[in-house]
Amino acid sequence: MGSRQITEKSLSMLRSLPRISLGNIRDNPNCRKPAKRGRAQHGGDKHGAGNKGSGQRQNFMRLGYETGNNPFYLRVPQEHYYRGHHLRREYPPLTLHELQRMIDKDRVDVNQPIDIASIVKSGIYNFFPDQKQFGVNLTDEGADLFTAKINIEVQWASELVIAAIEKNGGVITTAYYDPHSLFLLKNPKKFFESGQAIPRRMIPPPDAIEYYTSAKTRGYLADPEEISKERLKLSQKYGYNLPDIQKESNYQMLCERKDPRQIFYGLEPGWVVNLKDECILKPKDQELLKFYNT
Amino acid sequence: MTSALISAIKRLHITITPQIRVYSSNVAAATSASTNSLSITKKEWAFQPEYTKPREVWIENLDTIEEQKLGLFELHPSVYAAPPRLDIINQNVVWQRKIRYVSWAHTKTRAEVRGGGKKPWPQKGLGRARHGSIRSPLWRGGGVAHGPRSGKSHFFMLPFHMRILGLTTTLSSKLAQDDLHIVKDLELPTDEPEYLAELVEKRNWGPSVLLVDDTDYAPRNITAATDSLAHINIMPVYGLNVYSMLKHDTLVLTLSAAEKIEERLLHWLHTNTREQSKEFKVNQV
Repeated sequence: MGSRQITEKSLSMLRSLPRISLGNIRDNPNCRKPAKRGRAQHGGDKHGAGNKGSGQRQNFMRLGYETGNNPFYLRVPQEHYYRGHHLRREYPPLTLHELQRMIDKDRVDVNQPIDIASIVKSGIYNFFPDQKQFGVNLTDEGADLFTAKINIEVQWASELVIAAIEKNGGVITTAYYDPHSLFLLKNPKKFFESGQAIPRRMIPPPDAIEYYTSAKTRGYLADPEEISKERLKLSQKYGYNLPDIQKESNYQMLCERKDPRQIFYGLEPGWVVNLKDECILKPKDQELLKFYNT
Repeated sequence: MTSALISAIKRLHITITPQIRVYSSNVAAATSASTNSLSITKKEWAFQPEYTKPREVWIENLDTIEEQKLGLFELHPSVYAAPPRLDIINQNVVWQRKIRYVSWAHTKTRAEVRGGGKKPWPQKGLGRARHGSIRSPLWRGGGVAHGPRSGKSHFFMLPFHMRILGLTTTLSSKLAQDDLHIVKDLELPTDEPEYLAELVEKRNWGPSVLLVDDTDYAPRNITAATDSLAHINIMPVYGLNVYSMLKHDTLVLTLSAAEKIEERLLHWLHTNTREQSKEFKVNQV
């Protein structure tokens, strides 16, 4: 008997049972475990020392303490993997496998360009711009299973990931967003409700310029000519035939890219989105136009 | 042998499915009574039911004492035919009772009871038990150890989806028990309470009835009629809750209220609610 029949059957059984009211409902039997009765203010505990003997009466030193010696964990030299971690940019990972699952379950629309806003909106991926997290690192787990043809924009991607996407006739771009823009992309509704004008996207910091201007990493500031050369080179390196995207039916969508100053697809800096009246207000003042165009 | 058994089980399944169409006991009478054409509505929902059939209910009237069937109406099975989980209903009721309950029970500790500052008798030499205060919890008239302290709030939030499921479950069990009726509107011919009381009596709706409309104002006649009847109440859709539905024997929804409830609940059943539930997350990393 499938679950549908269970529901139907229980509903039809209800017809002949007494009316459900405040007097005859109850929780499932044994679903709550009663708390044990403690004694005195702290439930009569031993504060972690156990009962009698060495635990209560002897002084056991803390782990690693060597009675005044320079202890072992301080004696050996350290390797500072995490030095300055609070200053470094972090890119929380998203695997190709997860991305494929998101596409299969229709949580992202492949007929539109995918950016971090649509990835977050899927509900699978989340990140925190205030914790130095700068967007998606698309990782290669599940690269063999990846079959979707997409136009995706991520913040970090390895060579294998780029190859996996381009092999299927897709397009990938790596783009930098400053933390303020990431807040906007993470929760656009909250920003639009605040009634502010969409700001300009900032340029990458000096140590990220190289990554985002390189054609090898498909940076958004790279020369398009260079990128098409690198696409061919990569296909030869990994040994696949590069699909000709110009012949695709959705060539227009695959070519769509954001302006380096643009945050949302279809919206330009300086515009105000009015959710209440469902309209967009655009600046007309020459000074404002000049400011937002630079 | 086995094929015969399988076919027998299949026949059994058919009998198991409830007779949704036989919703009211006097179907034949109703169809003959309404000589004008029945309105039969087939609905298009934003989220179509996938594996279950829509529930069909009669649209009834309030402007005559005798029941008239004005038409057939479809209800979404995700909202009106959800599994009847009594435990979810109970948790919703407990939540509704506790959310605004503050316990004002109060006892005094040994420090708050008047007196008891002096040591009643010396520590040693009298052969009596040692005591430091006549207001110790051991003494008659002393303070209370670990007694209730006033202003204790029992507030907690039930998880968002438990609240949604509470509504669907209660609506479904009301419908399954024939305690949910759909009416066209709340228009009455008179404003006399006797008329409404007789209508409820005649239709066997039980003494207490909850009327739900999608607006928060009701026609004059029904407000006047229900004014003196404490067990017949009117409520807007946004006030609908599990406790009130269970407190009343019968739930009467107007057409627009039933549609509005369906639309809102279907929306939340198919929405990513991480943002909504985040607000109520406690003690979690």
